[in-house]
Amino acid sequence: MLTVTNFSKNYSGFSAVRDLSFTVGPGQILGLVGPNGAGKTTTLRALCGIVPPTAGQISIAGHDIVRTPIAAKRNLGYIPDDPRLFDTLTVWEHLAFTAAAYKVAAFEERAETLLGSFELSHKRDTLVHNLSRGMRQKVAIACAFLHDPKAILFDEPLTGLDPQGIRGIQQAIRDRAQDGAAIIISSHLLSLFETLCTHLMGLNLGQCRRFGTMDDVLAEFGQSDSNSALEAAYFTITQDHMTGDA
Amino acid sequence: MDATLLRLLAMRLRGALRLRLMQVVSLRGALVLVALGGVLALLIASGDLAPDAPLFEMSGLDTETLGNQISTFMPFALLGMTVLTVLLTTGPSFHFSPTEINYLFVGPFSRRDLILYKFIAYATGAGLSAALIAPFAQAQTGSVLSAFTAAFLTLLFVQLNSAAVGMAWQTLERNRFARLKWPVSAAVFAIAIIAMAHAWAAPDRTVYGLLSDVRHSWLGTALLLPYIVFAELFLARAGLSDLAVWAIAALLINGVLLWAVIRLDGRTSERSLKEVTRQSDRWERMKQGGSFWATEKAEIRSIPRAPRLGGLGPIAWRQSIKAVRNSAKVVAVFLAIAAAAGPLTATFGIPITDDRALVMILFFFAFIVPRSLICDFRGDLSRMETYKTLPIAPWRICAGQLVVQVLLSYAVALTMILSLLLFEDRVGAAMALALAVFALPLMLLIYAVENTIFLLFPTKLVPMGRADFEFLGRAMVEFIVKTVIILVAVSVAVGVGVFAFVTLKPAWTLPALAAWVTLSAIAGLATRVLQTAFKRFVVAEAFE
Repeated sequence: MLTVTNFSKNYSGFSAVRDLSFTVGPGQILGLVGPNGAGKTTTLRALCGIVPPTAGQISIAGHDIVRTPIAAKRNLGYIPDDPRLFDTLTVWEHLAFTAAAYKVAAFEERAETLLGSFELSHKRDTLVHNLSRGMRQKVAIACAFLHDPKAILFDEPLTGLDPQGIRGIQQAIRDRAQDGAAIIISSHLLSLFETLCTHLMGLNLGQCRRFGTMDDVLAEFGQSDSNSALEAAYFTITQDHMTGDA
Repeated sequence: MDATLLRLLAMRLRGALRLRLMQVVSLRGALVLVALGGVLALLIASGDLAPDAPLFEMSGLDTETLGNQISTFMPFALLGMTVLTVLLTTGPSFHFSPTEINYLFVGPFSRRDLILYKFIAYATGAGLSAALIAPFAQAQTGSVLSAFTAAFLTLLFVQLNSAAVGMAWQTLERNRFARLKWPVSAAVFAIAIIAMAHAWAAPDRTVYGLLSDVRHSWLGTALLLPYIVFAELFLARAGLSDLAVWAIAALLINGVLLWAVIRLDGRTSERSLKEVTRQSDRWERMKQGGSFWATEKAEIRSIPRAPRLGGLGPIAWRQSIKAVRNSAKVVAVFLAIAAAAGPLTATFGIPITDDRALVMILFFFAFIVPRSLICDFRGDLSRMETYKTLPIAPWRICAGQLVVQVLLSYAVALTMILSLLLFEDRVGAAMALALAVFALPLMLLIYAVENTIFLLFPTKLVPMGRADFEFLGRAMVEFIVKTVIILVAVSVAVGVGVFAFVTLKPAWTLPALAAWVTLSAIAGLATRVLQTAFKRFVVAEAFE
């Protein structure tokens, strides 16, 4: 559903991501883990067509993001780490905008359902600049889910959310995966990966250091407690970062 | 005052100077310095900055007449400002930034120290502003020193007066008599209008004569006394002793106002915090391309659906909503200015074809309107991620971003053309029609260029404090680039039109059509360049 082949991204002489290849199938949830500057956000931005890859191919639901960007983006939902909504539009108008942009015909019922599931029904006519950060995050997720994308990318999805919000978003991510969406989550919250992810990729200095199923990664670090295993994996990558010898 | 706060002020001043110096050594900063230096050199060479050069030479006023006008109008203007402060104030005007609130309000400082800290910061700014004003005002006051003193003390008074009056009014606001604010204001305004209308209608009276009589009556003098002191500062030509007397009086007034601000602050601190938050929100919105006058409502009736129009619809829909909710007042102001163009040119007898009129119109449409009315990419730097992820072709996104901005500016242009048609004898129906037809591709060209420059060199939309050389330099360079492109495009279109006329002599229709098609093609080409700039725009690099 989401295929990346030999992807690299350079910024004026600096290599942000190097030769990355992986696939996320329907129903799979891939967790991207790595220290600041590892290339997680650059990878997500390239996957959704915000920045063009310097080399390699990225395919969303069978559509190349460079050659056929419109078809690829129609199958994609992206939730950035800091959702910048349109400050003069209400919550409902964001959904109406998304529906028109993604050509979702009868969107009203689905939009109402999404508002209800994210506890935003009472905010439907609120101008978004009056919402808290967590609420804005929920609006961005509702917009990303509206067109029923086949691939969804989350960059730090839980920032600013209250415990109820965190539980709601986690459940929504699980539901989307069960419905067949390929999902990638980038985060520094290791517990989130432990709770949700089926696969894990460790990035450092723009390169893939570990990639496999959660079970494989946990087994590799041989801890009985999955959180400790994830921490061990993370700090091994970070140590590589410190010494630069990976 | 706490020594730490003084030290902080000194550090901030040093930091600001360092930033300006860094900006000056940048290309844009160097350009603005060269341009400002050039303007200054021209002024010195032409003798406009000499102490004996008449101020406002173009207005044709001699020093004595100007002095009389300052003596009459300045106290009224300062009084009007005070009244407006009472009518419109929503909070104290000593604004602390969110950073100052987070760091200083929780620190071991008294409110008095914080007010003094802020006042010194204002005074430093006022000193810089006065230094800029002084060379131009010295012709009126007699020397640079007197001009600086007058400007500095007046700027301080303006700040302290609005703060003290605002705070005093908020303290009294709970009083039941406060409800009379609007009826009393309306009554005073009505009396002023009737008096002015009477003076206007009477053959031997003028509005200026009426105001002068009021100002020089014993009642007027008593009412305007604090304000007269500051007008006299600009009129003290008799010598240093005269200036010193008025300066001491001005210092005393400012001292009393500062004391009042410190005393009143304790009663208004909660309101002050609320106001600071409100202003900070507005400032943040302005930085994102919003308007200062944007709606502050929390809830609004949602529009149920957005049009598609092949992808162009939702983008244009979003920008039109922004225009209505964010910029309606700005558009209204521009429409009013445009509507006044005809009466103004007729009153001053300046033909529309005059160089000065053409330069002003160019400056209005290529600089003032684009800088104040922002309903395109320029207000969406932080939302480029969203546009990049939309399944909409780049050319449709660009067209959707431009359409509202171009049409709004075109509406302003049409209003100006209509106003000129009605009031300017030299503008006939045929010329007005031609202007109306050519204005549309011209507006498209202006905003295609404006947005292309923005996408190629994205930057902030508002200056960061006083004397932001980088911002000023960029604005100047952009204006020059736009002017050159517009002049070249218009010249090419006119050239094609003239060539067509020489070839097909008998009629004007085909040459005009050829010129219009040429101008439209150039605007279309500029839009195509904009599309390329959008496709090449890299979000990560722009943010870094």
